Amino acid sequence: MQVFTSILVLVIMFLVFIITDVKAFRQRKVDNIKSIAQVIGTNSISAIQFQDEGAAMEMLDQLHNVSPEIIEATILNSKNEVFARYSPAGAPAVEVPSSMKDSSYLFKNNHLLVTYPIVASKEVIGKIFLVVELTELQQITYNKYRLAFLLLLVAVGFTFIVANFIQRYISKRLLLLVNTMKKVNKTGDYSTPLVDEGKDEIATLINVFNRLMAQIAENVKKKDEFIGIASHELKTPLTTVKGYIEMLKTMEDQPPKKQFVESAFKNVLKLEDLVKDLLDVSRIESGQLQLEMAKFDLSQLLDETVASAQMMSMNHTIVRKDEIREQIIYGDKKRIEQVLINLLSNAVKYSPGEQEVFVNMKKNEKEVTIQIRDFGIGIPVDEHPLIFDRFYRTKASSVHISGFGLGLYICRDIIERHRGKIWIESMTKGTVFNFSLLITNYAQQVDQ
Amino acid sequence: MAQNGEQEANLKAAFIYNFTKYIDWGVYNDNYQFVIGVIGEDSPVIPALQEIAKTRTINSKRIEIRIIDDLSQIKDCRILFITRNCPFSLSSILKRLGKGVLTISESKGYASLGTDFNFVVVNERLKFEANLKAISSSGLKAGSQLLKLAIIVDQE
Repeated sequence: MQVFTSILVLVIMFLVFIITDVKAFRQRKVDNIKSIAQVIGTNSISAIQFQDEGAAMEMLDQLHNVSPEIIEATILNSKNEVFARYSPAGAPAVEVPSSMKDSSYLFKNNHLLVTYPIVASKEVIGKIFLVVELTELQQITYNKYRLAFLLLLVAVGFTFIVANFIQRYISKRLLLLVNTMKKVNKTGDYSTPLVDEGKDEIATLINVFNRLMAQIAENVKKKDEFIGIASHELKTPLTTVKGYIEMLKTMEDQPPKKQFVESAFKNVLKLEDLVKDLLDVSRIESGQLQLEMAKFDLSQLLDETVASAQMMSMNHTIVRKDEIREQIIYGDKKRIEQVLINLLSNAVKYSPGEQEVFVNMKKNEKEVTIQIRDFGIGIPVDEHPLIFDRFYRTKASSVHISGFGLGLYICRDIIERHRGKIWIESMTKGTVFNFSLLITNYAQQVDQ
Repeated sequence: MAQNGEQEANLKAAFIYNFTKYIDWGVYNDNYQFVIGVIGEDSPVIPALQEIAKTRTINSKRIEIRIIDDLSQIKDCRILFITRNCPFSLSSILKRLGKGVLTISESKGYASLGTDFNFVVVNERLKFEANLKAISSSGLKAGSQLLKLAIIVDQE
């Protein structure tokens, strides 16, 4: 379709070019003959004035010798009678058409007719009339048309070659990309990257497309994995609770066993935690997590959370190492508590056995930092950048550790909303989790 | 083409007038009138010249046709037309001539005798002879467009 359009455009341009060229050529011819007429006319003024037809004839004769295309030349006097004439042997002379005015030209029957006035001292004393044969002009015109046609063929051929090139190197690759996108959109199969051998901008586009596909495939995989984990994590406590409650049902006429109720309750709390985490993540993702900011004593909060964490882990010893008695900061107390509980329970979870957990608070003029140190399995250095990611659970443990892998993701979000920082350091044995919060005396605006 | 006397006279008058378009009088072109002197009272060329003088100018000057009775009158003439009936001899005329006067005659052989131009009839056509030496010694210049139509004769 485009090739057809280009060819059409080419043909039109060529035609326009040829027509203007031929027209210009004809005009130049006319101007040329007119100049000759003017010169001859001027030279014949004296011959006319002195009625010397012989001299005029000689001049016209000479004219034909010099420009053989001028097949007839006539000098007319002021009464339009023939004064002198050169005409082709054997052919009747061409008369001046009455339609021609004093200085004009006419293309007629393969000939060009030109008239021009002869003026002496501002007075018209006669007229010169030339008849020019056009076969030379026609020959040239014909040659031009032929050449133009040849050039047109060459141009068309060239157009095809270029179109072919473009099609192969550009359109085809782009169309392939588009078709792949359509297919992937329909089937949802993101796994096969598109192969391209080029090194240009289209190759870059295809590259980016492939990376995008890989990212989508990864996300799909993560989603599937999460669904798997979620099902499992939610199912386990649910099954336990169901079991205990069923047992209680069968014990309707006996006093309920405290142990059953307590176990069930414990699992329900666990489910509640899991669901809360999910809710938090969902809020974070949709930007709806709100902080309720107020002044509170961080040191006191630390003591409280250490105490309650200690209550829940019999085997571990959680010790606070610093001496700071009071530290007022501005933040969301419940959320900071959530962070502390999360870090402390992680420390306990990932250092099985009888272990210690150290808690430390440091401060400088700008910020306060809390450190939680465990002596457990540790986190490999290459996993450091990944652990705060959503759904990430360390692979290092041989023991199954429950949870969605959402806790640190939520902690990071809470700390960063407080304009603080959270990071980890690996020790030879165990890990240290750190987070810092700003100390300011006045109202602290935190972006929600 | 047969030309009767009046036609020939008219033609000669026209020729004389047209000659002026091709002659350069140079420094001698100072008068406010252009005087054509004619020697010979009854010449039919005179009325023809007078007719021309009514309507035309030469070098933007009015034309005066002067009939010469006495050779002293030829002083301001720019053109001197010596008719066939001229009472004076050619040599006397030529002796009295200063420079800057174009002499035109209509008698056989006069050009070679010293006039600048001389009318002749050839094959029943009116033509003119030109004496280049006479023209240049008059201090005048004649254009090539004119001379190419003339029959060039030598000074005797």
